[in-house]
Amino acid sequence: MPQDIDPFEFFLDKPWSDGLPVVTPTEARVEWMLEAVRLAPEAVVGLIPPLLEPATVRTIAIHAVMAGCKPSYLPVVLGGLRLMLREEFNLNGVQGTMHGVAPLMIVSGPYAQQIGLHGGNGCFGPGFRANATIGRAIRLLLLNLGGGIPGVASATIFATPMRYTACLTENLADSPWESLAVSQGYAATDNVITCAMVESPRLCFDDVSQEPTRLLTGLASSMTDLCSWNMHTRSDMVVALGPQHATLCAQAGLSRAEVQRRLCQMAGRTVGDLKRGGNWRRERALAFPIPVDPDDDTCFIPAIKHPDDLQLIVAGGWGPCTAICHGWSGGSHAVHGTYEV
Amino acid sequence: MAETLGFIDPTAGGDVARIPLARRPMDLAGATVGLLDNTKEQGDVILHTLGSVLQERYGVARVVLQRKEHYSKPAAPALIEAMAQEVTVAIAAVGG
Repeated sequence: MPQDIDPFEFFLDKPWSDGLPVVTPTEARVEWMLEAVRLAPEAVVGLIPPLLEPATVRTIAIHAVMAGCKPSYLPVVLGGLRLMLREEFNLNGVQGTMHGVAPLMIVSGPYAQQIGLHGGNGCFGPGFRANATIGRAIRLLLLNLGGGIPGVASATIFATPMRYTACLTENLADSPWESLAVSQGYAATDNVITCAMVESPRLCFDDVSQEPTRLLTGLASSMTDLCSWNMHTRSDMVVALGPQHATLCAQAGLSRAEVQRRLCQMAGRTVGDLKRGGNWRRERALAFPIPVDPDDDTCFIPAIKHPDDLQLIVAGGWGPCTAICHGWSGGSHAVHGTYEV
Repeated sequence: MAETLGFIDPTAGGDVARIPLARRPMDLAGATVGLLDNTKEQGDVILHTLGSVLQERYGVARVVLQRKEHYSKPAAPALIEAMAQEVTVAIAAVGG
């Protein structure tokens, strides 16, 4: 390599990174990464929209190298991308949308623990290699093979910090309940990924409530912003109950399923309230998959139009806070499935 | 150049295809115009208005209005193919 070529600057000069330096992909590093899987490198996982470039096991490994992944992370990157390419996830739409949502990966099961995915304090922030690099590998793939680049195929107005990385696991050590994956019907020993297209988390502090009704009333209100697409379309939402809030509910006798049910029931606004501002349009309400009367100002519009749309997890450190990630309007539905390790 | 330096181009391997633009007719008299509604609100209003103006002022013989499944998803290939067989030119509208 010529001594006057700085590989970091070379890659940053190209439109191949997220603006941060990447680990330079060399044949040696890619071969090292591929040792983690028993798959043919040329096997096509799918075509990433809208450019529809093929994501092969090799090209995914290249991006995992660039992101800074360990080889043991590659199965999660592969599993996550496979899920995101499902038709119902509508990756094509989110690559081009004006909105700023990102595919959040919630990784469950023993392998997540084995590779050090973090779901405790600071889990949405920096400092945890598996969280940071798995999500980053996905984003680099969406940029380089999918073309979801602002000003090119992406019309995103703000994007979101979640487009640097969006990957975590639950804090089961401090959770009083079963995982999201178990609630979806998987065994606790299954390695599962759930992906949902969501905004950055809105942090909801409540250090006053001593019983669930008051706590969930506050959390439900944070699910119902006038400008949230959840109020004006069918959309997913991720609620990451902090373990302190989850424990408060559990100690009052509430199961995970009951908290899910109550949040779905409580989170909403009346038509009259929604008309005051935000994205209210009568024709949007008529397109809901649930019966509503857009001409009745007292009609209650729930934020969650179908119980499957609320991805309830327990994550974060100990403290009186819950994180809520609103969804998108583009017809994406959360997906989940097992992945091979 | 990346390869000559010992690096891997992460975008290498993709085919580059040039798709020429369809010929633009200079005269729409007697033409059939396709109007593709992307389903965003008021896109249909724009298209209906446009279709009427094209017929009244430019002699368009017929308009064919089609609607996508959802604004964030591509039009179904069958829809595009059917429209391509039927119309002279097509116009897509984004509502909002």
